[in-house]
Amino acid sequence: MGRLPLEGIRVADFSWIINGPQIAQWLATMGAEVIKIESQVYIDIGRTNPAGMADRVAGVNRSGFYHALNYGKKAISLNLKHPKGRDLAHDIVRRSDFVLECFPGPSAEKLGLTYDEMKKVKSDIIMISVSLLGKTGLEPSRWVGWGPMACCFIGMFDAQGYPGGPPRQTGGTWPDYAIASSVVFHALAALRHRNRTGEGQWIDASMGETVIGQMHEWFTDYFMNGRDRRQWGNRDDVMAPHNTYRCAGEDHWIALAVANDTEWNALRTAMGDPAWARDAKYANQLGRWQNRDDLDSHIAAWTRSQDHLQLAQRLQAVGVAAGPVLDSAELHNDPHLWEWGYWWKMDHHEVGERILPAMPVKLSNVPELNYSYPPDLGEHNRDVFGGLLGLSDAEINLLIQEKVIY
Amino acid sequence: MPNPALNDLRVIEFAEMVSGPMCGKMFADMGAEVIKIEPPGRGDEARSHPPYPGDVPHPEKSGFFLYLNTTKKSLTLDPASPAGVEVFKRLIADADVLIENHRPGYLESIGLGYETLRALNPRLILTSITPFGQTGPYRDWKGTDLVEWAMSLTGYNTPTLVDDVDKENPLRAPGHAAEMMGATNAAAATMMALFHRDATGAGQWVDAPCWQATVNTSKLEMAAYSYVGIPFSRLRANVQVGLEPLPCRDGYIYTLWAADSHWKALRTLLGDPPELVNEIFDTHAGRHENDDILRTLIRQHLAQHDMDHLVTEGQRLGLTIGPVHTVAQAAHHPHLEARGAFVEIDHPAAGSFKFPRSLVQMTATPPESMRAPLLGEHNVSILSRLGYTGEDLRRLHSAGVI
Repeated sequence: MGRLPLEGIRVADFSWIINGPQIAQWLATMGAEVIKIESQVYIDIGRTNPAGMADRVAGVNRSGFYHALNYGKKAISLNLKHPKGRDLAHDIVRRSDFVLECFPGPSAEKLGLTYDEMKKVKSDIIMISVSLLGKTGLEPSRWVGWGPMACCFIGMFDAQGYPGGPPRQTGGTWPDYAIASSVVFHALAALRHRNRTGEGQWIDASMGETVIGQMHEWFTDYFMNGRDRRQWGNRDDVMAPHNTYRCAGEDHWIALAVANDTEWNALRTAMGDPAWARDAKYANQLGRWQNRDDLDSHIAAWTRSQDHLQLAQRLQAVGVAAGPVLDSAELHNDPHLWEWGYWWKMDHHEVGERILPAMPVKLSNVPELNYSYPPDLGEHNRDVFGGLLGLSDAEINLLIQEKVIY
Repeated sequence: MPNPALNDLRVIEFAEMVSGPMCGKMFADMGAEVIKIEPPGRGDEARSHPPYPGDVPHPEKSGFFLYLNTTKKSLTLDPASPAGVEVFKRLIADADVLIENHRPGYLESIGLGYETLRALNPRLILTSITPFGQTGPYRDWKGTDLVEWAMSLTGYNTPTLVDDVDKENPLRAPGHAAEMMGATNAAAATMMALFHRDATGAGQWVDAPCWQATVNTSKLEMAAYSYVGIPFSRLRANVQVGLEPLPCRDGYIYTLWAADSHWKALRTLLGDPPELVNEIFDTHAGRHENDDILRTLIRQHLAQHDMDHLVTEGQRLGLTIGPVHTVAQAAHHPHLEARGAFVEIDHPAAGSFKFPRSLVQMTATPPESMRAPLLGEHNVSILSRLGYTGEDLRRLHSAGVI
């Protein structure tokens, strides 16, 4: 491995589940020493969720949910509910550049994981708090919640449905991932600021506010025109056709987006220049946009019997933006994702060879990021308590007996 | 006073619409000098994208453009023309970052490929944001936000819990979520490259694709396939624990009742109705087995209560529960107002409107948005700094270069 961008930076990582671990994974793969602080009292539920267990065999080091979000890191097991555990955590913070946590407000306070406490421990610390709706403000700053609840609060799910229908849910836990690279960017800006001025700070990241920024046009339209767009389906402000269309098979689809006359003509030719498509109402962009519903039913009738993968290839070859909706197997076998380097194979001592997602960016001068395998629970206890904090083996053994290291 | 965090950086943005400009905005709002290169005449395509005040299209009034381009300077320039290439090269000579979102190979085709740029300025970071990346079989595919989104499991799974495949086609998220994800990933990776450069002296080329960024937001669903062998399905019949907005008397709420403690809190919240105080629902397994009946009963009871009561009281009882707001409700919510989640920005052409403030909040160097530039507003100041005289400017202007 050549030099990594964040060598020499250390992160005291108290985060768990998805958003915090995703942030820490950016930092770890890019060379920061991330010390993930877990314990058998506060085990990352990514480790225990039965739905992620390799081959359905339970074990704290076997979960794909944990592995996908935690490679590149070190893990220690430290009981923060024990006073000595708290002191040792502070010793780690004193030697760190960042503290990262994603607990709900009241839980973070109980564990002493607030910026006020942390800056007493290290005055120039950069503290990253990730939460549902921010840790300042009114009552919602104290709520318990997870990613999708942030979408609900700020209007994303209301805007997610079919026109005129009820609110629907965006797939996965979008805000958990959406917030991660935003936080990483701002955290590194804070690090640069600290390096130049010696001043630390608190990053108070709200999943709700990140998603507000992502769907800014819904808010700008409201503030400019008093219009709440509500559910728009797949409608675009400018493009038509712009939708997903059913293909052959049980649940296969193709996405199509036509931005101009050239693309429309290419699509028309690919469809075999049917008579309906020659209708003057489809002749220009505005006409297609105004008549998009009719347009959609014609196109859907044409795609219905076709293979989604082959059709996408065929349309892309003639310059039409088209993409197949991929299923799990198709994604894991996708030639582009393999060739670009999105998938990597990990050889793990408990679960064997598995395919995991790599980082979704590439840096030409850093061809190899830190992809050390996801740590076992407490794997780096000796390394951190002995190597970093300088405790003797005898002291560490005593802490294990006292269930401080636990 | 520009934000001090990045006030020593100069960023050139040769990009249009969402992905590149959003990345540039993040740098600008953190204090970098961001010079946005726009096509002479029409400007960034985002200028012709709604919303506009009163729905009247005007290149200086697009709310879409005004949000994505805060705090930047605008230079109209056609780098594909011979004179334009020279201006572009002078700009690059002392820049820290070039952000671009053209199709792969385009920069090279106008004589501005990475090797040329590196020769001009070895410390430069070139950040390319594209639909599919700089290598691989889809490199030259056309992508849009819809296409990039739909090709991921997150896209396939939107909306969740589908009952009728014939009626429920996969949907894009509101806005340009895939392009935004590409933008924020690019911003994070560019900062990494800057740290790398500060340590080694060498710049580099950052490849930040929007599709991979979006694929990466379904890590759990993908791990379930690689680790457990379960292909992901969006059909309600195949989903183990189904979460979705549930109707109450005056709107919708969102909650879950997987854990015993949550279930007890939900029952209490609904007033312990006799049909819910039933031992078949006492265990997680029992609730799972009888999900259909339970869900129907819960819906009936939720429909008798107001959103505010359910959320406030539910959270007090330890239930994970939240309101499902409309955008209009969120825009006026006292918590978001107390946080300052929206900021009023005055613009000489468009007027004064509120915009989303920032993706995250910070205490010492908070992101700060100044108004977006008028088309070509900074032509004179930027070109003068590069050593062009008044005479040169007139020549460039009449040749259509600026």
